[in-house]
Amino acid sequence: METKTVRALFERQVEAFTGSPEFAALEAGCGDYDAFIENVARAHLKSPQLVAFLYALAPPAAARDLLGNLLEELGLEAESERPHPALLEDLLRAAGLGHRLVEVEARAADDVRRIVTEPLLYSALREVGLAALTEIVAFEFMLSRVSGRMARALATHRGLAAPALEWFTHHSEVDVRHAEQGLADLGAYAAYYEFTDDEALTIVEMTLRENVFTRRYFRDATAAGTPR
Amino acid sequence: MRLVGATLYALRIPFVEAFSHSATERRWSDSVVVRVRDDAGTEGFGEGAPRPYVTGETVETMLEHLGRDLWPRVAGRDLPPAGHLPGLATFLPETYLAGALAPNAARAALELAMLDCALRRVGRPMASVLPPRRTRVTYSGVVTAGSVERAVQHARRMRAIGMRHVKVKVGFDDDVARVTAVREALGPGVTLRLDANGAWTFERAVAVLDAVAPLGIAAVEQPLPRGPVDDLARLRQATPVPVMVDESLVTEADADALIEAKAADFFNVRISKCGGLARSLAIAARGSAVGVGVQVGSQVGETAILSAAGRHLAAALPEVTFVEGSFGTLLLAEDVSVESVRFGHRGEAPLLTGPGLGIRVVEERLRRRAITVRELSTEG
Ligand SMILES: [Fe+2]
Ligand SMILES: [Mg+2]
Repeated sequence: METKTVRALFERQVEAFTGSPEFAALEAGCGDYDAFIENVARAHLKSPQLVAFLYALAPPAAARDLLGNLLEELGLEAESERPHPALLEDLLRAAGLGHRLVEVEARAADDVRRIVTEPLLYSALREVGLAALTEIVAFEFMLSRVSGRMARALATHRGLAAPALEWFTHHSEVDVRHAEQGLADLGAYAAYYEFTDDEALTIVEMTLRENVFTRRYFRDATAAGTPR
Repeated sequence: MRLVGATLYALRIPFVEAFSHSATERRWSDSVVVRVRDDAGTEGFGEGAPRPYVTGETVETMLEHLGRDLWPRVAGRDLPPAGHLPGLATFLPETYLAGALAPNAARAALELAMLDCALRRVGRPMASVLPPRRTRVTYSGVVTAGSVERAVQHARRMRAIGMRHVKVKVGFDDDVARVTAVREALGPGVTLRLDANGAWTFERAVAVLDAVAPLGIAAVEQPLPRGPVDDLARLRQATPVPVMVDESLVTEADADALIEAKAADFFNVRISKCGGLARSLAIAARGSAVGVGVQVGSQVGETAILSAAGRHLAAALPEVTFVEGSFGTLLLAEDVSVESVRFGHRGEAPLLTGPGLGIRVVEERLRRRAITVRELSTEG
């Protein structure tokens, strides 16, 4: 599978995301910031578990990267680091949404429960893994380009200080590297598990057939593009 | 058991991708969900999908009909026991809606809600009134309208999921090229059906079907617009492709006329279109009795409620050739139940064994996704 094709798909998704009315509202000072913060937390609170799952499926060429990602998610990569879920909890508390933490945790847990209990679309773990890897690399790709803008919007319009926004700043700095690695890892995964180009691309496209970023971060937006 | 309250939710749940066919394009689910409550506080949920071009109902007339004509005639009355589906269906009076073929979506929504409530009250599953004859249901995939390129992309996805039955929407200038390309993308091991949604003329139908018949077409759905059944009967003689009726089959009288005219090889029985489970069973039985095949169809954008009802119907019918629906979050940005009803690999899905319809509806999601919520009580 050509990295170039996947990169183009990711770029289009990022463009659609930043071009959405919801994203514009976020930057213009009229977004639903509390819902946005909760949605970001819900989308990423379980990241360590998802990365661990992908690490378990990793082909030799991608195993080091995925282990690195996992250690980072767990805050074990460097002395001063904190687990990423803890950064998200900080964000919620700093935004005065500490009382929502239990509910957001429960929803994140329920998202995992749903994935685990729903009948599998694909016949083997190889496809399930490719779809999951696609989504996580897509988020790394997007965050490396856009999380700075999201942090600025939250600082300006929601009055959040730098320490509260560390989850965003962390991902914008670190994930440029991750995003590039991620694309390479996707290619390595598809090659190692002997996907034909068509097979791999079909699964990548199916995973991205909706805007995964809009869906997770603005989950209550309507099809018409306007929050109710 | 008496019904003491009901809530109507006119939903607008966005689709993850726009879904289109030749008669309309939709970008969100516009189902109406009915929640009923009995004197013991038990709740039941039902759903109908109003389609102006099928039953003649709209969201607005469906809400009105439920509130003004149907609910007042069941509110406060003693419901028949849970174990008796026909009793429940006759308990719901026959009603009429001006300008509509039949208020079937409204009727289906209320019937399902009452059934769900009656079963939940005694903690019994659907299997107690509608015993399943199979242990799982196999769904078809649908290749929607759009460019041929997009149709091929969709067909590849169906193949990746391992779907064994696929239906393609037709009724465009490029039908032959479209069906050829989709067949090629699917490979030979998948049954292929067409759905024209009444978009063809008689001549166009014959021409397209002649051209694509060698590709192996299991059936063509609603090749001609709803109209004289003799036209369909004539087409059936003129083409080797089996004819399935959908828009032409809304009422039991439709079923009788179609059988009488020998106008169909298959009935597409859809719960919302046909006015509920009891009538769907009756229509399917009429077909099966004379060798007409049955497809359990669905509504584009239906939530888990209609999908669950469709699953029970498809599991219970003596003979069922194709089943559609249960796309769940493949289509909807969010579904309304705790359990996912979405089919899995090869289109297969397990039976739903919990009480009532077998799903737990999350009311908060209905409220959040509704553009209109109406409360009905026994006082009216
Ligand atoms: Fe992270
Ligand atoms: Mg149809």
